[in-house]
Amino acid sequence: MPDTATPADRTLRTGPGRLLVAVYSVFALAATARGSYQLATRFGEAPLAYALSVAAGAVYLVAAVGLARAGRVSRTVALAACGVELAGVLLVGSLSVFVPGLLPDDTVWSRFGSGYVFVPLVLPVLGLWWILRVHRTDRDRPGAGDRT
Amino acid sequence: MVDWLTMTIQMASLAMAGWCLVSTFRDQPMLVPHLVGMGVLWLLVIGQAVASAAAVVGGDRPAEAAMFVSYLATVVLLPPACAVWGFMERSKWGPAVIAFACLVLAVLMVRLEQLWNPVA
Repeated sequence: MPDTATPADRTLRTGPGRLLVAVYSVFALAATARGSYQLATRFGEAPLAYALSVAAGAVYLVAAVGLARAGRVSRTVALAACGVELAGVLLVGSLSVFVPGLLPDDTVWSRFGSGYVFVPLVLPVLGLWWILRVHRTDRDRPGAGDRT
Repeated sequence: MVDWLTMTIQMASLAMAGWCLVSTFRDQPMLVPHLVGMGVLWLLVIGQAVASAAAVVGGDRPAEAAMFVSYLATVVLLPPACAVWGFMERSKWGPAVIAFACLVLAVLMVRLEQLWNPVA
């Protein structure tokens, strides 16, 4: 499947998409840097929590790149990344509330992202909404379905 | 960390964030006044970074110096990065990106201050 740039693909990264890419990049940097630093300096304290932060950072990075690149493949990748994020923030958020002992130290997703003013909870929803909206305009355009 | 500079940067970046949000709602792209504002903010941040770096080299460093320096580098890179974004996105979403970056900048200044003077 060639990663061709159709007009709708370009709209994925323009307008609100550009803001999403910026926010995702900042969160990718914040989560990865924080997790790696904690893994490097305090591995023994809460390895699972720190590894989870790094993993979350990686997902944010994938989503940011997927949103920034034009193309159908990238859009699917970004869609999957946003889905993983939403699942992650809900799962880790619930675990941190109901099983507090499991993650001794906070991650980006702990308590549904309350340490980051709940942006991690809102972000995947916005991401999914934006990708699906672009996807719909793309699908409704006549002849757009031929190019896959 | 120079205290009054930290305060000034926080006030300035919050003001920039507010202004850019207004521009977003008014459907304006990034304009020259926004760039001038970001330039002033950037100069303030660079001033703070140079003062802090001089203090760190001089031996007056926080306990988590590596963390502090990496945050400092991020803060210095933030204003030019979002200005580039404003050039790429010639719509109201350009100022929206700048507003977000300015809010992050204000938060990062709080974080820097915590690392510099940890409240035990």
